Parts: sequence; C-alpha cells; structure tokens
Amino acid sequence: MKAPLSWLREFVSIDTRIGELGPRLALTGTEVERISPVGVPGDPENLSRFVVGKVLACDRHPNADKLSVCKVDVGEASPRTIVCGAPNVAAGQTVAVVLPGGTMPDGTRIRDAKLRGVESSGMIMSEAELGLAAKSSGTMELPPSWEAGELLSHYFAIADDVLEVEVTPNRPDCLSVRGLAREIAVITGAAFDEDLRFTHPWGDRPIDADIFIEVRDPDLCPRYAARVIRGVTVADSPLWLKAKISHAGMRPVNNVVDVTNYALWALGQPLHAFDLRTIRGGRIVVRRAFPGEKITTLDNQDRVLSEDMLVIADAERASVVAGIMGGIDSEVTNDTTDVLLEAANFAAPSIMRTSSALGLRSEASTRYEKGLDREMIPVALDMACKLLVEVCGGEVSVGTIDVRTEPLPDVVIGLRTARVEATLGLAIERDEMADILTRLGCMVLADGNNLRVKVPTFRIDLEREIDLIEEVGRIHGLDVIPSTLPARREGRGGLTAFQAARRKAEDLLAGCGLVETINYSFGDGRWGDQLRLDATDPRRRGLPIANPLSIDQSVMRTMLLPGLLQTARANISVRETRVHIFEVGRVFRPVGSQLPEERTHLGILLSGQWDEGSWLNTGISVDYFLGKGILERLAQGLNVELHYAPAEEPFLHPGKSAALSDRQGRTVGWLGEIHPSVLQEFDVRSESVIVSEIDLDTFLEDCAGATMFKDLLAYPRVEQDLALVVDAAIPSSVVVVELRVAGGELLEEVRVFDVYEGPQVGEGRKSLALRLSFRSSERTLSETEVNEIRSLILAKVSARLGAQLRA
Amino acid sequence: MGLEGGGIAAQPSISEQISRPDLRAIYSHAMESIATATDLASLDAARVRFLGRKAELTALLRSIPELPVAERPEVGKIGNLVRRELEAAIEARREELEAGELMLGLEKDRVDISLPGWTLPLGHLHLVTQTRREIEDIFIGMGYEVADGPEVETDYYNFEALNTPADHPARSLHDTFFVNDQVLLRTHTSPVQIRTMERQRPPIHIIIPGKAYRRDSDATHTPMFHQVEGLVVGEHVTLADLKGTLETFARAMFGSERQVRLRPHFFPFTEPSVEVDVSCMICEGAGCRLCKKSGWLEILGAGMVDPNVFGFVDYDPEVYSGFAFGMGIERIAMLKHGVNDLRLFFENDLRFLRQF
Repeated sequence: MKAPLSWLREFVSIDTRIGELGPRLALTGTEVERISPVGVPGDPENLSRFVVGKVLACDRHPNADKLSVCKVDVGEASPRTIVCGAPNVAAGQTVAVVLPGGTMPDGTRIRDAKLRGVESSGMIMSEAELGLAAKSSGTMELPPSWEAGELLSHYFAIADDVLEVEVTPNRPDCLSVRGLAREIAVITGAAFDEDLRFTHPWGDRPIDADIFIEVRDPDLCPRYAARVIRGVTVADSPLWLKAKISHAGMRPVNNVVDVTNYALWALGQPLHAFDLRTIRGGRIVVRRAFPGEKITTLDNQDRVLSEDMLVIADAERASVVAGIMGGIDSEVTNDTTDVLLEAANFAAPSIMRTSSALGLRSEASTRYEKGLDREMIPVALDMACKLLVEVCGGEVSVGTIDVRTEPLPDVVIGLRTARVEATLGLAIERDEMADILTRLGCMVLADGNNLRVKVPTFRIDLEREIDLIEEVGRIHGLDVIPSTLPARREGRGGLTAFQAARRKAEDLLAGCGLVETINYSFGDGRWGDQLRLDATDPRRRGLPIANPLSIDQSVMRTMLLPGLLQTARANISVRETRVHIFEVGRVFRPVGSQLPEERTHLGILLSGQWDEGSWLNTGISVDYFLGKGILERLAQGLNVELHYAPAEEPFLHPGKSAALSDRQGRTVGWLGEIHPSVLQEFDVRSESVIVSEIDLDTFLEDCAGATMFKDLLAYPRVEQDLALVVDAAIPSSVVVVELRVAGGELLEEVRVFDVYEGPQVGEGRKSLALRLSFRSSERTLSETEVNEIRSLILAKVSARLGAQLRA
Repeated sequence: MGLEGGGIAAQPSISEQISRPDLRAIYSHAMESIATATDLASLDAARVRFLGRKAELTALLRSIPELPVAERPEVGKIGNLVRRELEAAIEARREELEAGELMLGLEKDRVDISLPGWTLPLGHLHLVTQTRREIEDIFIGMGYEVADGPEVETDYYNFEALNTPADHPARSLHDTFFVNDQVLLRTHTSPVQIRTMERQRPPIHIIIPGKAYRRDSDATHTPMFHQVEGLVVGEHVTLADLKGTLETFARAMFGSERQVRLRPHFFPFTEPSVEVDVSCMICEGAGCRLCKKSGWLEILGAGMVDPNVFGFVDYDPEVYSGFAFGMGIERIAMLKHGVNDLRLFFENDLRFLRQF
C-alpha cells in the first residue's frame, strides 16, 4: 500500500520527521517497505523554479524545423525566451515552466543553454516529464486562470514523499490512506480528523427513474448501494487528481475512473462506475453466475464463470465479476454521459475463492477478500459524487439505492485488565488501556476493574478479548516487555532414542569421511524407468503433486538413490570426482490411507578415488568392499547387526549387490555397485559407483539400550588359523556361520583373512584362510582343549559343506 | 675436596693408592683404552683384554696364594679396587657409546617434517544439520523435547486447526503444493504443534525441526526448506516468557551481546503475533549492508498461541496459555556463516559442503 504523505496529512497532522515515522510504524506492526520521494526534489529552493508561464509568442526556430522559440511570461519584469520542441506549443497557452537551476524528477538540472544558436532560459514541461503520464506528445496545458509566475506546487503536488507499507491480512482498514492516517495518529498521538461528511448538490431526477437493483444472492452480497450521475463530461483528470493517483502508484485513466480510484484509495471502499447506457433493461441484478457464463474483463481476457461466482449483471448478461473486475462492455469511455456508481460489500471468502479460481486479482479484490466495513459504503458514495460533480460536471439523481441485509450487531467485548498482564507479562494501567482503545476508534466504558469495549465497524478483525489485548500491547509498545523464562515444572529436555541414534549414525558416516547432502524430496516420474524398476515395483509409484513447479519435481520421492545420483553427476561435471556422500531424509510411499507412509532412509553413494594418494601411498579406488566396510563400521558403531545376502535389485550390478537384514532377519536395505546402464541413464561419468540405502526407522530400532559389560579381560583368547577348501560357490559367510554353530560358545569369533582360488586347490574350489578365536569366561583354555574343539568343528564342516583342510 | 683445617683427611686418588708399579701400569693402560674405545666392539675388546680370563689383572689376582704372605693383602685389596674401577669405567663408557649410537641411528631416520601427512578423509555434516543440531541443543538445554511429524499433511493440521480456515486471506501467503483437496506438503512445521497437543496434556515444551515446502523458487526462495518450530504450553506462560526464551536462544546462537526486539505482526495461529529481530552481529546495531542500515535482523516469527487453536485440541484457554515460534534454519545458518545464496544449501556442490 502506497500513501503519499501529502494525502495522509489531509487526515492527520504528521509532525514526526519522516525518518522517525518508519521505525515507529514498524514497531507497532506496520512494516514499512520504504519512504521514497516522488516528483521533483521537494526542497523549497527547487520548488521555486517550477512556475506557471503564459506563452506570449511562439515562432519557428530559425535553424530547426521541429523547434519553436517562445516568449513566456513567468511573472518577471520581462518575458523569457524558451526554446521548445513540443509540436502543440502555441501562443496564448498557459504552461508549466521549469526555470534554470531547477532539478527534474529524473535528476536532470535545467540550465541556460543555447539551442541551435538561440538562447533558451528554461523549459516548458510535458506531463511525462513531471511523472504524471507514461508518455506525452506535447506540452501540458494548464487552466488559463492560473497566474503567471505562481508556483506550480501552489496548485498541485509536484513533489511528495510516498510511504510504502506492507499491511498484514488482518488489517484491511489500513489498505486506505485514511486507515493508515488513523494508525499514524494512534502511534504518534497526533490529531486525527474524524469528519467524514462530504456534501454535493443534487439534481432533479429521482434515481428510481434511472435504475432498478435486485440482489438475488444476499449471502454473497450483504450490501449493494448505487447512485446515478447524468450529464458528465469524460475527460482527463485535473492535474491535482492525476498527481495524487500517480503518486499512489496507480495509473490515471479518465476523470470518472480516477475519482472512483481516489475514493478507493482514500477510504478503502472499492467503487465501480458503469456507463448507464450499456445497462440493458434498466436493471442491475446481483446474482451467482450461470454455469459456463462468459465475460470479457477490463484486462481484455475472456473468462468463463462458474455458478459459485457472483456477478453484477443487467437484465441480460453479466457486466462485472463482483468485487474483482469490471467487464469491457459496461466500461466508462469518452462517450459516456451517464454513470451508475456502485459501492457494495461482498462476502470475503467468495471473493477469495473466485479470485484464485480465475487467477485474477485487483485492488478491489485484495480488499474485499479480507473483509470490509459495510458502513463505509454511503461515505464513499458521497465522496465520489462530490468529486464527480466537481471534476466531471453532471447532476446526481436524487436518492441512493441501498439494498442490504440486517446491519451487523454491535461488537462489544469485555476486557479483563488482569488478563492483559497474564498474557503480556507486563502490567499496564487500566486508564492507559482505555486511552489506547479509544484512540483506535473504540468506545470504552469502565466495568469495575475491567473495561467494556465497543469496536468500530472498520475494525472487523477485533472480535475477542485477545484481539484487544494484542492492540493494547502493540500500541503500548512491545519493546518495554521484560524478559523472563517460563517455568519448567514437569518433564525434561532431550532427544528420543531414535533421534540420538540418528545423530550417531550421521556422525559415524561423517567420521568415515562422507559428506552429508540434502536433496529435494521431490522426484521425477521417469526415475522408475531410469532405474529399470519392474512394472510392479511399488517404488515406481511416487505420490503425485497436483501443482508441481516442474515435471522433474512432480512426485514425492520413494528412494534417496536418484537424488544422490544427480548430486554425483552435478559434482563430477564440475570436476569434483571424489564423491563420497550420504543423505538422511524421508521417502514417501502412497498407501491406502489419506496420508502416505513416510520412512526415514539413509542413502550412501561412493564414486571416484577414495583418497587421492600421496607421496606416501597410491590412492584406493572405491569398490563394493569399501562400501561394505563403511556399513560394517556403521553397524558396529551403532551396536546393531547387519547381514548380507545376494540381492536382486534391477539397478545394481547383479554380481555385486547385497540385500541387508538385521538381527531379526528383517530386510533393512541394500548395498551394491550401480548397474552400468543406470549410470548411463543418469549421466554419471564414473567407472564404478557404490550405493546403499537403508531404512533407518527399522535399522535404528535395534540400537537402543545400554551395552552390557562382558569380561574379556580375565582370561586370554586363544587363536588358531585354519585353511579350508570349499566349493567356490559357497559364500564365505555360510562357512563362517557353520563354523560358529559347530564351535559352540567357546568359539568367540571367526574371521576370513584370505581367499585363494587357483591351481593349488583345483577347479571350482576355493581356499578360505580363517582365524578362529576361542575364549572362555571361566578359565584359561588349554591347548588340548582347543585342539579338541577344532577337530570337532572340522569334522562337522567337512560333513556339512564338503570342506577339506587345505594341505 | 678436603675441609680446611683438618678433620677428615682428603682421600688419595686411585693412582696414589696403587703402590705396585705393575698394577699402576695395568690401571693406566686400561683406563686409556676404555676412554679411547670408539664403539661397543672396541670397548668389548678392551674389557676382554683387561678383565677377561686371560688378562694380566686376572692372572695377578689368581696368583695371590702364591705370593709372599706380606704382599697378599696389599695385592688383593688394590687389585680388586682396580678391577671395580675398570668395570665401572667400562659401564660408563658403554652407556656413552650406546647413547651415541642411538643418536646416530635416529639421525639417519630424520624426515622432512614439512611433507604432508596421511590423507584421512574428513567428512562433513550438512550446514543445515549442523545448524539444526545447534538450535536443538540450545533448546534441549532449556528443557525442550524434540518432536516430529509427517511432511505430507492434511489441510486440517496445516491450516484449519491452526486457525486458518479455507478462504482465510492468510492462506494466500503460503504458496502450497497440493496432493489433492485435503492433502498437501506442509508449508511449515506448525502442524506438529497440533499433533503434539492432541497427544498430550500440558505442560509442553517442544521444538519441531523439519522440512517444509512452498511453491516458490527464486533467488530467495527454494521449494523446500527447513524450519524449527517451538511450542510451550502451560499455566501462566506470557509474552515476556517468549521474549526471554528467544533472547536466550539468540545469545546462545549469535553471541552474548545480542539484543532482541519484538515487532507486532500477524499470524493466524498466534495472538498477539510478533516478528523477532536480533541486533545485527556485523555492525552491532550501527547499521550496515547486512541489516539494511536498520541495525536489526529479522530471525523469526512468533506469538502467543491463539485461543482458537486451543479450541481445536480441547485445552481450556482460561487455564492454559502458551507461545509458539518458528524460524528458518537456512536463514539462521546464512546469518551465522555469511552464506549469501539460499540455493547453495540444496545444490549439494561439494565445494560448498566441505567448507563447514
């Protein structure tokens, strides 16, 4: 909302320096975007250079076809010679002159100059040069009654400061100059002009002879009022009106429209002017649109309406989308002589819905959608009629048509003074509360220790005691509120077990050297194909977003993997080839219910060299076992078990992929090398990429609880190495499990420390070098005891797996 | 070393005590060899030569029984003294030589200590995670629990129960991603307020970190971002408590010199509502480019829980009051670390991520 200070001053005397006003408004809830000068620089010295001039003579420039040499009376002893380029300049005109030394709105300083050999002492201005029009074709003609040499600023605002504020949605009353002026009066203590009487002469003809109004849907239109003005002359607005409209950030159109915009801006009540002749059947019908009804709005767009939208129609067709925008058919044009002036109130939710359904917003709709004061309607009509008569001529038909539902009951709210302190934590005197509320326009009565407050109709946001408490606090000043801390009587702070475990997992991965990334939760519907997922794979079906920003962000992700691949690609493309990253975030799976299932996943991606190598060592390349090493470290650090079985994920290398399961055998994720065709699909330029994804909600369930002490100190561990030859197809983990089962509780650990395949063990066989660790918690194991167990184990595994001791 | 004026006579030197010329010769000869031994081998040779089984001294001591009786005590006493002295001298010399050889060996192992060390890869948590944890820990220290909720939400929890019914003008401030009429991507973490209050009775002290989504993408907006919401509900909770809480937070996060100010504002689910500024940490309030000459930086929105919100969760607003606040994690991180572009947080460029 932009409000020129000169306009605000019509309602409130602003003594405060402009620079101080901004912070004071900000600290009472009106955010000031800026206070900026408009027009010419406003210092008195500069304003004195802008004067009225009379063109006494106008001759062709001797050396230039398009220039004229004018003698202009600017109220000095003798006329000045001014060279002018405007095609319409002529003797007898009253014009706006800037004298040498004057600075224009764009910063240009006017000087005495010689133009094609002729001395020019000043400049004759156009409207565009003063910022009153986008472009001008010639000089700005002033009324002949204006006196030569008089300051232009005497007649209209050529310089102003414009206050630009952001008004919160609960304060539509501040979307007007008057409303803002009241706010300024309240916070600065300045006097506010409450007077709202605007009077104008009436014509002879009764309004009923001009128009009949029917409101069919009063639920959407609680009040509809109209006046008729006949015999107007539509033309450009006078300069003072143009200046006001321009400085407020609107575009001058013609005098009738400018007057309605003036009243809208001043009072916050939208007005609409119809060309009375275009209204068929002599009647206005306020009704819901017919299904599919069409209208061409003033912005030249064809709109199709639906039956929950309100229109202002005549006997035949819709003329206006109520409260939002007029139709082109009933627009006021230069030929218009008779005007129907509408001021109405519409149900805010309906305007909100219609405006968003049509994608159409206007100065009127942004006000109506927040709710407006119904009692401002006659005032706005009075103000507009007064101006129309002054500016456009014409006669106001006698009477106002005013179709309305029952007036809203008075809003009277009790305010308990103790409640103010209980909410704000600050004691405020009852009298000060009463004073603040009175300044805001309320009627305040004492009620014992408390107050009874009647709220003015323009403050539709004040409905409850808490609303009054907010007003009292806001105007009293929140800066004086003390700082205290709330009592913490029950409960305690802290993380849940899952939150603590999640942090630990993140720390372990960062401790391994991985970098955490955060990718968007959005997914691309094409990922399923790119990942070669089966047609039936549920990970293909991401939750679709109805209004996505783009196709590649149109569903909610079902996996972290694609985001990690995209991050890898982006980094590799800027030559960051060592991509070792992880992400912890939600994935979303549509299930039968209203909301999707959300799981927290951990994703890991490793690509490129693990380390760069140095003068100390050659670098290590990333491979499946590096990924597995990281997962093993993660599992150990979290004290959970992770089991590996061959996996069949279509996006992984079939020979280098593992399904991960936990202690209870639940699947928790997968680990593997990315399938080369998937790498190609995602355009990841890397030899091999290792990836893993784990469902943390399941995985971290196991890690809660305190670790119990095991006595590994009292008795030593006895180690024995063993080389077993088995069928090459038997996974080492199977051998380890068989050994452990056979070894019983004295066999503490089995570790594979070498693998050999080759001629020494024969085709299709492999040799596993294993280190067996034995320990008893009760005694030191003897050599013979261990040898016995070892023989037992050997016998069992050779029976079950056909394993042989390597010769 | 004798004391002036007598008392105990000064002890004569070893050489003076050796009356026999042959022993004196052995002694001085041996001492010289020990002193001039340059390595452990030559020292050992000296030991064998002067103290070994075939040494002159050994032979002399062994021949004592054959000496005249009068000479025996003298030879025995002095001979053994000489042997002890030589042994001690050899030991001392050995230590010297060993220390020297160790030193020599170490000297050979000297490295260029300016060469780089092993490259142990250093991992990094995302700046959002680091900042989130820092915020969490500050509030945990003040007795808050950390709560959580779904990112895909119902209209009811995201808007309606937060006193933002359909067609409320405040809805237009949120550019919402919809799944359908009733389901959307949460536009803030505030729905978890309602879910928590539905689940438990006051007192409530929670913060809610998490992702939120708005349909907006430009230099200062990303369609996904992170928020931390806070909610305190109890008896006698006031706006002054909110101010004190946020002051404590701001000082923990941005330094103990920070001031906090509340500016009235509007949010549908709090009343009174405020925006909260912290005094600029760059210019200390004097005015600079970061704070746009105002001396203050907006860090979050907050307010007292609107009684209507309590209505949705069946809390009696006459008994309970509360405050809520919400801040953008990225905004806090940008202010604290001088990051100048929001989009960097989600581009995942390692050259950015590895800086923190």
